[in-house]
Amino acid sequence: MAWITKNSVAPIERRNEPYLSDELKRKLTDEVLTRYPTRRAATMPVLHALQEEHGWLPAQAIEEAAAFLEVSSAETMDTASFYEEYWLKPKGKYVIWVCQSLSCELLGHQRLIDALRNKLGIEVGETTPDGKFTLVTAECLGSCGSGPCALFNEKLHENLTVENLDRILDSLA
Amino acid sequence: MTPEELGKLAAKEQKARSACKHRVNVCCAAGCASMNSDKIKDDLQSAIKEKGIADQVQVRSVGCMGLCAAGPLVSIESEGKSVMYKGVTDGDVSEVVESLEGKPIERLNLPTDMPFFARQEKIVLENCGVIDPERIEDYIAVGGYAALIKALTEMTPAGVVGEITRSGLRGRGGAGYPTGLKWGTVAKSPAREGRKYIVCNADEGDPGAFMDRSVLESDPHRVLEGMAIAAYAVGATHGFLYVRAEYPLAIKRLKRAISQAQKIGVLGANILSTTFSFNLEIRLGAGAFVCGEETALIASIEGNRGQPRPRPPYPAEFGLWGCPTLINNVETFANIAPIVDRGFRWFASIGTDKSKGTKVFALAGKIENTGLVEVPMGIKLRDIIEDIGGGIPDGGKFKAVQTGGPSGGCIPKQYMDMPIDYESVKEAGSIMGSGGMIVMDESSSMVDVAKYFMEFCKSESCGKCVPCRVGTAQMYDLLEKIHKGEGASDDLAMLESLCELVSQTSLCGLGQTAPNPVLSTLRYFRHEYLELLRDGQKELAAAGADKGKDGAV
Repeated sequence: MAWITKNSVAPIERRNEPYLSDELKRKLTDEVLTRYPTRRAATMPVLHALQEEHGWLPAQAIEEAAAFLEVSSAETMDTASFYEEYWLKPKGKYVIWVCQSLSCELLGHQRLIDALRNKLGIEVGETTPDGKFTLVTAECLGSCGSGPCALFNEKLHENLTVENLDRILDSLA
Repeated sequence: MTPEELGKLAAKEQKARSACKHRVNVCCAAGCASMNSDKIKDDLQSAIKEKGIADQVQVRSVGCMGLCAAGPLVSIESEGKSVMYKGVTDGDVSEVVESLEGKPIERLNLPTDMPFFARQEKIVLENCGVIDPERIEDYIAVGGYAALIKALTEMTPAGVVGEITRSGLRGRGGAGYPTGLKWGTVAKSPAREGRKYIVCNADEGDPGAFMDRSVLESDPHRVLEGMAIAAYAVGATHGFLYVRAEYPLAIKRLKRAISQAQKIGVLGANILSTTFSFNLEIRLGAGAFVCGEETALIASIEGNRGQPRPRPPYPAEFGLWGCPTLINNVETFANIAPIVDRGFRWFASIGTDKSKGTKVFALAGKIENTGLVEVPMGIKLRDIIEDIGGGIPDGGKFKAVQTGGPSGGCIPKQYMDMPIDYESVKEAGSIMGSGGMIVMDESSSMVDVAKYFMEFCKSESCGKCVPCRVGTAQMYDLLEKIHKGEGASDDLAMLESLCELVSQTSLCGLGQTAPNPVLSTLRYFRHEYLELLRDGQKELAAAGADKGKDGAV
């Protein structure tokens, strides 16, 4: 639920080295900013690029993005927090997106989720303590003909069963 | 590149194709790829090399062949004959290579005359499963970019708009707005600071619909060509393809397709050595379903929260940064090149009076042949479910089909002989939507289905307007209460009145249509709700004995 606001009083953790490096700035200036009539329009591509580089979006990175886009950091945070796929806290090396669409539900996606919860020892939305796996649910992944399915980072697996799930997890170990 | 050079390239590719004795196509779309079809393709290639017949056999990875349930699929074309193999594994590779010069393998054979293939009529999907989506040369060899040449060299922009208008094409994203009318509005609207935009809405998110993903993965150039023709017709110079981040393979193929198209000069500055220029960018979504709504999509591209705004003004007049903006769905753009190429009369001859052409449907749920099918508009629901889809598996009985995702409804079996077109589906209480069809048998609970979609709408509501933000949450709570057997007839009455309130007062399509799954299941399967109510027995009895369990109203 993108519209539920969470009260955040925690101080921002900072580091000296910027997240938005000069090199990334140059790349974004050349390849992204030139395509838009406003700097703000580059918000999502800039956030995607930062997330790709660092795995998630720390608050400091969002501040740096805002300065680069010449908007207030509240505005960039507003956009970043609206979309579910911007990670505002660290995620695991592998993110497992289990499809929870109706066709996957009819084909038993809950069994998969339960098996993953047991095997990884985490709930949906959590990351394993070793930082390896994050378990989340996704809206329709577009494989309704061969469900249940899940994305393991960028690799889509279909016709999943508890057995072949084990094999996939082991191959990522 | 000039049009002549493009023609030469096409001829060269065709010659190379026909020089091969056998063409082996391995499906490498997401469905088959997840069953390691890439490796099967590599193994086939090395086995053929080993056998010393590499000069006679061309092995290609191609896009989706449709019958995802039977993957990995391999099709072999040899001198006019073609066979198709299903469920091919690593172990079958040497046998497949041997069979090239002998008899087809009975065990793997998938008869191409089965109704699933024979009853389809392909326009949008005609290249899917036939060409390698990662090679622009393959697309050009089957006539790709010829329509763009025709538009740029033989037609005026107004002529292109007229062609699309007369073809009767309607938007395939769900609402069915006449495409030509929309193009005409954008063409007539004065550019703002010299700018107009084209946007392809590939933020496919309806649960149960996956045709856009498949088209983008299997024939990306078709969409690019459609967008370029649209840009020429309405006078735009820039375009955006807004794709869901959940479709990594589609994104990869699109990026490759765009760079290939720029390289040979069918995208970018001075396309095909004319004065027309068109630049195209990919924009990634980030997991917000509401961004499929056009004004929310615009807000998202502009760098804001993906929240809709009231219409009018429509994006056709006031879209991206206030400029006239044409927004069409992937499947709509995929129809453009064939219409320009073959003419509006050909397209208008397919389908019904008010719904022209074909529609791609995604069959899923309790049906034998799951996958993508393309059929002429006006086909009977029964033909899709029983003939093409192969009926319900495990001896089950058809109960209803859910169409249109969270904005649609459930169509029960008394509508089996209804023609599928925009108007008839609406009359039956659902919508055509983007084309998802989730089939349910007698074991599925309709209250569950309604609850599922309400949960979806609740979590995807952007929160801007109160009716949708609060209404979907309240309706979900009521459905949950009824589902648990704790509801009473007051709750059902409250649910019905909320449905009306939310549909009439929400800001955008998401909220306006969110009650549809509840309303349509109440219309046809009210007894399933009554059976769950604490005090529902009285109304059930009052409804009479003829109110059977078959969903008769």
